[in-house]
Amino acid sequence: MNLQNLLPSRRQMLRTVSSGFGYLAFSSLATLAASREARAYSNLFSQDESNNPLAPRSPHFGAKAKRVIFLCMRGAPSHIDTFDYKPQLTRDNGKEGRRRGKLLGSPWSFSQHGESGLWISELFPEVAGMADDLCLIRSMNTDQPVHARAQTQMHTGNAQFVRPSLGAWTLYGLGTENDSMPGFVALNPPAGTEQNYGNSFLPAIYQGTKVGRQQSRSTGSRSAQDRRSALPNISNPNMTRDQQRRQLDLIQDLNRQRLNDDPNHPEIEGVIESYELAFRMQSEMPRLMDISGETEDTLDLYGIGQNPTDAFGRQCLMARRFVESGVRFVEVTAGNWDHHANLSTRLPQSCSEVDKPIAGLLTDLKQRGMLEDTLVVWAGEFGRTPDAQGGDGRDHNNKGYTSWMAGGGVKGGFSYGATDEHGYEAVENGCHIHDWHATILHLMGLDHERLTYRYAGRDFRLTDVHGNIATDIIA
Amino acid sequence: MTDSIKTPFFFVGALFSLLVFVLPAAICNAQDEALTDEQVTFFETKIRPVLVRECYSCHSAQTGQSRGGLQVDTRDGFLVGGDSGPAFEPGEAEGSILMSALEYDEWAMPPSKQLSANVIEDFRTWIEMGAPDPRIITRAERDYGAATVTADDIREAKTQWAYSQPVQVPPPAVQNSAWTRSPIDNFVLAELEQEAISPATDAEPYDLVRRLSYDLTGLPPSQDQVDWFLNAYESDPDRAVAIVVDGLLKSERFGERWARHWLDVARYAESTGREVNATFPHAWRYRDYVIDAFNNDKPYDEFIREQIAGDLLPAEDDETWAEHLVATGFLAMGPKSLNEQNARQFILDQVDEQIDVSTRVILGISVACARCHDHKFDPVPQEDYYAMAGIFLSTSTHYGTIDSQQNRRPSNLLRLPDEDPDPYLKQMTSAEIRELRQEFDEVRESAANAARERRLEQRRGADTRTVNQLRQQENRLGAQAAILEQIVNSYDQDGNPLSFVMAVQDRDQAINARLLVRGELDQPSDEIDRGVVQVIGDRQRIRGDRNSGRKELAEWMTDEENPLTARVMVNRVWKHLFGNGIVRTTENFGSTGEPPTHPELLDYLAVEFMEHDWSVKELIRAICTSHVYRQSTAFNENAFERDPENRLLWRRTPSRLDAEAMRDSMLFASGQIEMERPRGSIVTRAGQTIVRDGNLSSGIEVFQLLRESGSETMDVREAFRQRARQQGAAGMRQLRDRLQFEIDDSSLNYRSVYLPVIRDNIPIALEAFDFAEPTMVVGVRGSTNSPSQALFMMNDEFVIRQSNEMAKAILFENHNLNDRLNAVMRRIYSRDATESELEAMTRFYNTVDSQVTNSRQRTPEREKISAICQAVFASADFRFLN
Repeated sequence: MNLQNLLPSRRQMLRTVSSGFGYLAFSSLATLAASREARAYSNLFSQDESNNPLAPRSPHFGAKAKRVIFLCMRGAPSHIDTFDYKPQLTRDNGKEGRRRGKLLGSPWSFSQHGESGLWISELFPEVAGMADDLCLIRSMNTDQPVHARAQTQMHTGNAQFVRPSLGAWTLYGLGTENDSMPGFVALNPPAGTEQNYGNSFLPAIYQGTKVGRQQSRSTGSRSAQDRRSALPNISNPNMTRDQQRRQLDLIQDLNRQRLNDDPNHPEIEGVIESYELAFRMQSEMPRLMDISGETEDTLDLYGIGQNPTDAFGRQCLMARRFVESGVRFVEVTAGNWDHHANLSTRLPQSCSEVDKPIAGLLTDLKQRGMLEDTLVVWAGEFGRTPDAQGGDGRDHNNKGYTSWMAGGGVKGGFSYGATDEHGYEAVENGCHIHDWHATILHLMGLDHERLTYRYAGRDFRLTDVHGNIATDIIA
Repeated sequence: MTDSIKTPFFFVGALFSLLVFVLPAAICNAQDEALTDEQVTFFETKIRPVLVRECYSCHSAQTGQSRGGLQVDTRDGFLVGGDSGPAFEPGEAEGSILMSALEYDEWAMPPSKQLSANVIEDFRTWIEMGAPDPRIITRAERDYGAATVTADDIREAKTQWAYSQPVQVPPPAVQNSAWTRSPIDNFVLAELEQEAISPATDAEPYDLVRRLSYDLTGLPPSQDQVDWFLNAYESDPDRAVAIVVDGLLKSERFGERWARHWLDVARYAESTGREVNATFPHAWRYRDYVIDAFNNDKPYDEFIREQIAGDLLPAEDDETWAEHLVATGFLAMGPKSLNEQNARQFILDQVDEQIDVSTRVILGISVACARCHDHKFDPVPQEDYYAMAGIFLSTSTHYGTIDSQQNRRPSNLLRLPDEDPDPYLKQMTSAEIRELRQEFDEVRESAANAARERRLEQRRGADTRTVNQLRQQENRLGAQAAILEQIVNSYDQDGNPLSFVMAVQDRDQAINARLLVRGELDQPSDEIDRGVVQVIGDRQRIRGDRNSGRKELAEWMTDEENPLTARVMVNRVWKHLFGNGIVRTTENFGSTGEPPTHPELLDYLAVEFMEHDWSVKELIRAICTSHVYRQSTAFNENAFERDPENRLLWRRTPSRLDAEAMRDSMLFASGQIEMERPRGSIVTRAGQTIVRDGNLSSGIEVFQLLRESGSETMDVREAFRQRARQQGAAGMRQLRDRLQFEIDDSSLNYRSVYLPVIRDNIPIALEAFDFAEPTMVVGVRGSTNSPSQALFMMNDEFVIRQSNEMAKAILFENHNLNDRLNAVMRRIYSRDATESELEAMTRFYNTVDSQVTNSRQRTPEREKISAICQAVFASADFRFLN
């Protein structure tokens, strides 16, 4: 990087940059009036000391979790074949079910793992090896019985209206810690799910930045795909880095001239900072996405370079790299859990694609001492029916299913709540999606009743008027 | 896809006719009289136990299931029915879907085992009795929760400022009367004088002419306009401003600018958004209608009446009628969840959206808040919501969308009475169209047969593989039929292309809504007479079973005695000219919104607005020729201390260009801008289709490709491979151009208002710069500095293209460096470069490594000038207006 023969102005610039996000860091310009005006401008954030909407903020109360990795299992994995052991269902196999089909005992065997003795099925051998770190919530339930809407409710609390997503709320509550990266990253989100990492009425700065959208298999032209995939416009097609740095110096030179003419214009400083962040992102983002520097051992841990774990392993590793760099909230998606038919072959396939990568992620975080303040959340949008569909499949079941968490201040080796003897619905310590949201925010040090945003004349919350914290799971 | 008993062809018969499809007309077939004991006993002993035992597990809100879109835990559930239509009409058991299913005729329910003959007979009797059903919640049983709005609350609210009529008071006297140019100035200056703050100095004439040009047309002034203005301003500022305002208001660019403000609140979009993102290829007619309305200065009250009830207004000729129909697209283009299983839920959500958008946009109050319960802070009880809901339930909404397998809720479109065909449809011969119609009939029939066969096999308990194979066949035929249907329905018998419109109509039978406790479908309570909200005016109830009440609603909204409509629009106009509204919460004039900063000014303007025939142009003229509008943005520490948010208007609030103005200005500076209005948009060209993975492709073109290739399948990839084998890479490219439309096509040079607005797939040029989220009512856009904006300016193909074009022209027209650098500033800002700008640009020019990678005709000079153009576009000065 050619940063020699710097112009004096650039040196001044870099000092600003090195001081992080300080929108008002041009000390000579940061008169009291200007800074107060700045606050008036961004009255959205007037309750904060800082004027920068992404600056790290203190949580409402002390909490262990500082960041979140959300492993989103799209399509709804069967709870009764994975994490919710139902011996009675096995005994009642073939009897008349509550819905249309006959009860189908899990074809897979369960056994106890770790010191905690959690029951986990043979489909997740690697994750089972981390049993003492897992906190199973076996009493999940949600309102929506269809995929897309349940996904939306899982992400935003509401399937009916467009509302901010969990990640956006978290970022709004806590800000972020890497000034070269967006604070909320959605890795490979499926197309058409923008709402699930959107900001809705929250300021756009809290929107999830999608990175590396799932490779489209359509017939679209290359250029169209390039522009809408990965991160749009992350590199310049013509200029070298040095040329672009010089061009940016010219831009900032013009900006500073403008600021000199009108020192009371904090938005110009906002522009100056956003350009520097973008320029940093141009190198930081590809750097974080380049895993060639990782050791063989680490790659093996995630199952990278192996079948069938390579794809999801890469995403999990990327998630670790992002949170390690200070990104507040990372979401990773694994699809194809919708096993209406051919459960006996397709469920093991889906599990084998994610089992090792997830265990690898937990191990890696642990080795790096990061698991204790990183909350890892695993969940599908609902679960599946104990009765069979077409003999070898299971239908949607939103009345009872299992999600789990690890690290970030939850009890390890712990099981919370329960479904009935067959796994139809939550009967003990029910954890509705609102409760789940309240609990996740709580683990991040945010009070779901105080994390509000005023829009259309009323204070909105992620949990609307609901939400009970599952205090039992907190370590 | 497990559970659909979907018959995708159900709607075909009714499609594209001017008649309303029949389905939800029976949504609330009244059951007014109290039930007799005998009826209740019959239901409770013979019907309810069977429903609970046999049906609820797949068809009730309680279990969260609505197979085939049907829920049977309320009477309305039966009457609205599922994907195949109403389960029965009360009193008519014969031929009903429910009886057919119970008797294992075409359907077979419950699927496990047929009910006994006695029970089936009970159901027949029950339907013949008129289906008496006590499953509603009486008023006494209702749980209102903590907040209730009483009659007293409403009476009291009528005295609040927002619900009392605007009154014009004489403009207050001011000390510095020489400063005032219009009564507007008196209202503002009086407040300032009271606080002992003096208004800012006048803006520099250069800044003023730019401000006017951007505010009124969204484009910068030309060099000539600037020169003329600077000259004229010197001799007579007032006259110079008046002349410029007049000229800009006459320009067609005015409508393009101001229509976009309206489209923001009207949540204009060309697709449904949500889970199945189906296109609205005819939405553009509404967009153009709004542009024309602003350009023709259509009186605002008329503009509103047309959008709420255009279909019901008298029209002297077909052209006017067509225009009125297009206007009602306002109610039709909301976001929709096309995969909603439950038909009734879908309709109620659509009604909710219509209530929400019309009340917040036009009245500045939120009625939709009251869907679930009363709110203490707003004088809108739940009854008022359901009174309005009845109006929209009595209205059918025609939004189209391709009738494909994923789309559980397609609707028909209306024929435009005035022929104005889709510009992208080729003329066909009558023979061609006849042939296609025949093909469509055949495919439709085969698809129906396939569906029937599959159901039969399923009932016989066939294995999964057989059922899946049949389902695949059914889906393939269904997809073919959907596209064929779209084609044949787009032409008349002679092969002439037809024109369609998204619009609303009254249903044949008007109905009242039932209040739903907590807004829940399965908690119906009393029937509420159709009407409007009580807090405004005298409550109007709408009677008669032929009349939805939409016309009355439109008239009530635009009645000069309605205290909100004029104020809300005046406030919107003010917001766009000053950056903030007099009421800063532009959609919320209620008690939870902000109070007006200048209540008397708001009323003065509202009354003037109505007295001047609701003319938006006159309103803008009055505001732009005021002295307040002419203030500079100069900072004043003393004033700032007292009023940091500039509520008193002690200066001009600095503003920034929005996404459209930025993109248009780049096109303007590069000389590439095309002012002609394009027909439709790329969504129109693509037709009815579903947007997947950010790709918009034309279903019709795909279909034709498949026919050309003689392919038996509907597999596009296979057809592509085939084409590639036959014609190689060049053929592939050609094919892509034909099938695929780029949402981010950076070579489009028309104004940004004409770019496609596909929900969840907004062009990056707009999305990055706080474009109004088209699923929501957006009166005030966001204003962020995000890195994606910077990345766009530094790296996007569009910006690079404009910079290159501009550099090319500059190099051709100018021959030394200074002239060239000055030309950059002149093209972008209509002024010469300052000394320090020249210095900075020269420094860059001389130090940047001029080695050009990847160059053919591009010279180092051009590269460098182009990079400078781009830097100026990227600089803050380009975005901020003084």
